[in-house]
Amino acid sequence: MTQAPINGQAEGGLEPIIRCRGLTRTYIKGDNTITPLAELDLDVARGEFIALMGPSGSGKTTLLNLVAGIDKPTSGSLRVGGVELADVSPSRLAAFRSEYIGYVFQLYNLVPVLTAYENVELPLLLHRLSGRERHQRVATALQLVGLADRHDHFPRQLSGGQEQRVAIARAIVTDPRIIVADEPTGDLDKESAAAVMALLEQLTAEMGKTIVMVTHDPKSAAHASRVLHLEKGRLVVQDERFATLAGA
Amino acid sequence: MLAPKYLPLVAKQVWRHRTRTALTLSGVAVAMFLFCAVQAMQNAVAAATTARSKETTLIVYRENRFCPFASRLPEHYQQRISEIPGVRSVVPMKIVVNNCRASLDVITFRGVPSDKLTMPGGKGEKFRFSAGSMQEFTKRGDAAIIGGALAKRRGFRVGETFDAAGVTVTVAGIIDSDEAQDQNVAYVHLEFLQRSGGLDQVGIVTQFDVKVDDPTRLREVAGAIDAAFEHDQEPTATRPETEFVARAAKDIIELVGFSRVLGLGCLAAVLALVGTAIVLSVQDRIKEHAILQTLGYGRGLIARLIVMEGLLLGIAGGGLGTLIAVAAIEWRGLSMSVEGLSMNVTASPSLVIVGLAGSAVLGIVAGLVPAWQASRRQIAACFRAV
Repeated sequence: MTQAPINGQAEGGLEPIIRCRGLTRTYIKGDNTITPLAELDLDVARGEFIALMGPSGSGKTTLLNLVAGIDKPTSGSLRVGGVELADVSPSRLAAFRSEYIGYVFQLYNLVPVLTAYENVELPLLLHRLSGRERHQRVATALQLVGLADRHDHFPRQLSGGQEQRVAIARAIVTDPRIIVADEPTGDLDKESAAAVMALLEQLTAEMGKTIVMVTHDPKSAAHASRVLHLEKGRLVVQDERFATLAGA
Repeated sequence: MLAPKYLPLVAKQVWRHRTRTALTLSGVAVAMFLFCAVQAMQNAVAAATTARSKETTLIVYRENRFCPFASRLPEHYQQRISEIPGVRSVVPMKIVVNNCRASLDVITFRGVPSDKLTMPGGKGEKFRFSAGSMQEFTKRGDAAIIGGALAKRRGFRVGETFDAAGVTVTVAGIIDSDEAQDQNVAYVHLEFLQRSGGLDQVGIVTQFDVKVDDPTRLREVAGAIDAAFEHDQEPTATRPETEFVARAAKDIIELVGFSRVLGLGCLAAVLALVGTAIVLSVQDRIKEHAILQTLGYGRGLIARLIVMEGLLLGIAGGGLGTLIAVAAIEWRGLSMSVEGLSMNVTASPSLVIVGLAGSAVLGIVAGLVPAWQASRRQIAACFRAV
């Protein structure tokens, strides 16, 4: 497991897959300027499983959205997979998301009029693949999350845990380098949450995926290799031993 | 353009929101049905009244008369007209109608000398008999050759006897013809029709159909005919056939001209319906589009998906409305008639093309604004908003 210093920078000579320097995001809301993320420095190595914790409004989801390329920094540098996200155009950012990122939402966010199969196929339509190749990839992804037999079910016909597993299949079907997950177990019962966390752990361990996960749940955070605590947009502590403490 | 692999995605969005789609399609279909009906009437007027460069037919009528009951010309004018230079043939014709006013269902009898129908190069040469024959017509004095549109509208069959405007005839043949007027009339023997109106009608005709040798001399020959009878008891007014129809059917043409506004209103309704459906659909799917963007769908692609949805709704609804209009027009075999002149309302291939192309263009236009709006949204803001 990678040791990381308190300033949030990963050790070792390898180029980190995520590298933040002075990362700041501000919003204007009415007359107020809100700064959910301020001057953040952070390195994440390839294959790491990072859990982001902290109270509401601490900047966890903002950081996740910035890493996923669905929001842009106000200032500072954010390099993900060697791409400086602060500078890229919206169309290149879309291409970046398609190639590098798999996103898992708290509320699954499957398209309700599409079946499980069709939802998983959505990101593949953006790639130069034949229909047959798309079919193989979707089948493999659904197999991996244990829902091959539910491929023709619509989201309303699935349980919450199954929906989240379909969402994970959709996130991994393009074989992205990074999975970002925003409270993936936040809306699930205990059993389903455990199954989803086991799946995410498997993605890191067996497929070498880098995972950045926001969670409020210490048990879910315990599956991560490193836990980062944010408060008022700043990194206050990171503790890889948290896993041991939470599991105790 | 949108790659074909995305088309099933758009089709599923449309098909799987069935209630919304059904309501939109039915509205668009009704509007396009009305548009096509109006367009078909305008086409009928245009076909009957637009001057053609190769037009060779003149209609000689009683001066200052437009109703067939009021135009009474001596049949013997035929000889003098045929002697005028440039005239190729003259057909005297008596016209009797069961309704002089504008109507969608008028029976018009045209009494023509039998030899003018049967002779080589005569009027009957262009007839294509779908039932009966010219021989049957020549055998009986009360025989009638019925235009296809009239036969279809009234359900007439060969051998059947019918009565209209006090004239009783037996159907000897049913014809198709490229001439609009032939489709809606019953050709009968001239003498038979004259005698049906009483003995004082013998030797009297309503008009003369005159063919000229050279289309460029149409006006010149018309002037010569009117000059020849200028000082007779029954002076004539001679005009090219299309101009004659346009003058005689002026009222109906004005009404149909006004219906152009109705047609434009129908197109506006299609635009509004598809536009509303797409706007509501896009509003409902703010989050869904944000999800697609998160997956890597670019703004342009999202916009094209929405425009394609508009196109699909436009084509499906417009196509449905157009097909219903074509079926209704073909089934009813309508013709607008006034003063014994007919304008056939037909569903031409160009009508179908205009209907489909119009629906497609309106569908695309209706999708443009919602597509632009959807493509401008920031992903993070969308997730915060829902």
